[in-house]
Amino acid sequence: MSERELEKGQVERFSVLNRLLHVLVMVGFLGLGITGFSLFFGGAWWARAIAWCLGGAAGLAWTHRFLAVMTYAAVMAHLIWLLYYKLVLKGRLTGPGTMFPGWTDVKNVFAHLGWALDKGPMPRFDRFTWWEKMDYWAVLLGMHTMGITGLVLWFPEWFTQWLPGYFINLALLLHLFEAIIAVAIKFVVHPIVAHLRPEVWPADTSIFTGRMSHQRIQQGHPALWERIKPGEGEAGS
Amino acid sequence: MKKLALIPILAAALILAALPALAAPVVAMDPAPDGQPARNCLDCHHLPNLASNEGVVANQQLCLECHLKESCSREVKGTKVPLVVNMDLFATSRHRWVACLQCHGDVATSPHKSKVGAQCLSCHPIHGEAEVHSPHLSVDCAACHHKSPFVELDKKTGQVKLAHVNLEGKPIPLTEHGPTDLKQDQHCLRCHVTDNKVGAPEMVLPAKGMICFPCHTASFSIGSWWFGLALLIFLIGVVSGGLFYMRGRVAGVEGSLHDKVSRGSDQLWKAVFSRQSWELVKVLWFDVLWQRRVLKQSVRRWFFHSLIYLSILARMGLALFTWLVYELWPSSDLAMALMNKNQGFVAVTNDLLGLLILVGVVLAALQRWVFKGEQVVAEWQDNLALIILGLMIVLGFVAEGARLVVSQVPHGVAVYSFVAYPLSRLLAATGIDWPAVYGWLWYAHGLVAALFVAYLPFGKMRHMFTAPLSLIINRRLQ
Repeated sequence: MSERELEKGQVERFSVLNRLLHVLVMVGFLGLGITGFSLFFGGAWWARAIAWCLGGAAGLAWTHRFLAVMTYAAVMAHLIWLLYYKLVLKGRLTGPGTMFPGWTDVKNVFAHLGWALDKGPMPRFDRFTWWEKMDYWAVLLGMHTMGITGLVLWFPEWFTQWLPGYFINLALLLHLFEAIIAVAIKFVVHPIVAHLRPEVWPADTSIFTGRMSHQRIQQGHPALWERIKPGEGEAGS
Repeated sequence: MKKLALIPILAAALILAALPALAAPVVAMDPAPDGQPARNCLDCHHLPNLASNEGVVANQQLCLECHLKESCSREVKGTKVPLVVNMDLFATSRHRWVACLQCHGDVATSPHKSKVGAQCLSCHPIHGEAEVHSPHLSVDCAACHHKSPFVELDKKTGQVKLAHVNLEGKPIPLTEHGPTDLKQDQHCLRCHVTDNKVGAPEMVLPAKGMICFPCHTASFSIGSWWFGLALLIFLIGVVSGGLFYMRGRVAGVEGSLHDKVSRGSDQLWKAVFSRQSWELVKVLWFDVLWQRRVLKQSVRRWFFHSLIYLSILARMGLALFTWLVYELWPSSDLAMALMNKNQGFVAVTNDLLGLLILVGVVLAALQRWVFKGEQVVAEWQDNLALIILGLMIVLGFVAEGARLVVSQVPHGVAVYSFVAYPLSRLLAATGIDWPAVYGWLWYAHGLVAALFVAYLPFGKMRHMFTAPLSLIINRRLQ
């Protein structure tokens, strides 16, 4: 994840693959949330309206599974890319500038709270802040919970060949609870912390354009700026 | 008046006389088994909830009460045909927990006789191109899936179905409820043998693979192994062509392949999500789809080129549309109609488009070799591409004609294939054993098509990929 200049004053924050996967997961997850809750609360008037739009319960289920495959494939593509990044590009998976959580992030959480209570300066964030790392890991881990329980619900005949039947009920509950958590975080918390902060208001477009200006890095990611400042050697990580 | 007063008295007397009869226990039509309580009307005359376990068991018990007895049989032409269900086989079948009435929907009637047989398609969708190809749309499920090896062609409907008699004309029992072993190809040999009477070619042919999509409804499978080989060569050609493009500088940058791909994809991303994307759409619509630049150069060339290219594009569109409709609604009438090659619209469209391609190839060949237009430089690669294309279409029409002969499609239906049908009459007149030859014809057409696909990224046909790319890149550079 070396930072390179795409244009003058614009640093590449997200590669094209990352932008594409984010769009896929964003569209897929929005659709999964809508179709999934419509499936679970099938009796509700809004669920019936959505089911009608997609050709009934069967169409709803088909759309849900189609989007699930698409979203999970995006997560898998990211994991395969991580292998390529580590083995071919010889990139680092830990340390500053990566998504790997470290002790600094824990300190940053408290420092950030302290800043909010006017007890100190804003912590100097590196490439990814602590809440961005939380967002990333929530999806990376949560998608597997959703994927595995979803597969159990999709192919109950196969899974009950070697699992007791109550695992189907468990899978349904876990799928629902994780969905509620994920939707609460990704539909509400994530858009708010990503776009409605004063520094980036009205929207942080870096995940879509892949670009971040020098000015924004200096303001929001000063520790990164220290490392990649032009004229002071190559970028780290 | 006195006579009228008698009427209620007589009626009352009649009711009183009938009372003992009404109160008497109901005598079951079919006596209950020994030691069981007497039957009520509703024991038989009710429809259990077939979606529940108890409903399924109740329904199975009712039917099997007779259909387990050795004496359960019927007489056909003086021969006793047993109607006993073999429970050892049924217990291992996939339909063990399905009610009898779920499939045999019309037997709960008087007289107790099924007119339509088991209704597989009320639960299962029909097979797509991947499992079986479209001529099997006129084959009943049971003809392959039932254990009985005897099949016949219904001349009236054109359906191949399970025969009720064996080869000697003796009625046979068909109450086998065990699974057919579909892993072995034995069931294919019921029809695909020499001198079969059901209109099957002798050879068992593979399903059409994804290389067939440019012209035919196919499946995203490999099909035959050398379809796979052709696909592999095609992909190697495309990738090496892409790598050749990548040897140049990308966005003015030299560097590793990774850097170039990153830069290039970033430029593409930027172009797509900007006002330039509208320019790209215009290039795709006018210059790529409708070949505006070729039209400006020469109307004649544009005409020949469009006959070939737009017809193939239209056939590919129909093929992909059919695939999509089948994947989304496999049991719909639309899917059934589109997948059926003999269906009027499909037959006319495919024959017309095939003919247009052939006309385009012939006109281009005449221009090249006979009239020798001014700007034409007859390179051997162009000639080879034309020959492969022309041969593929001709063999396709011959194979189609042979198929109409072999599968005994009724004339009123076959006539929609307006090119292949007259051809099929000619072929039939030759007296050649077409069921034996058809497989070879099919493979000949398939082999030329595989050659066509494998040759695409190497020969002149490469322009299919490079021309649109150049058009887009040139537009961007402007």
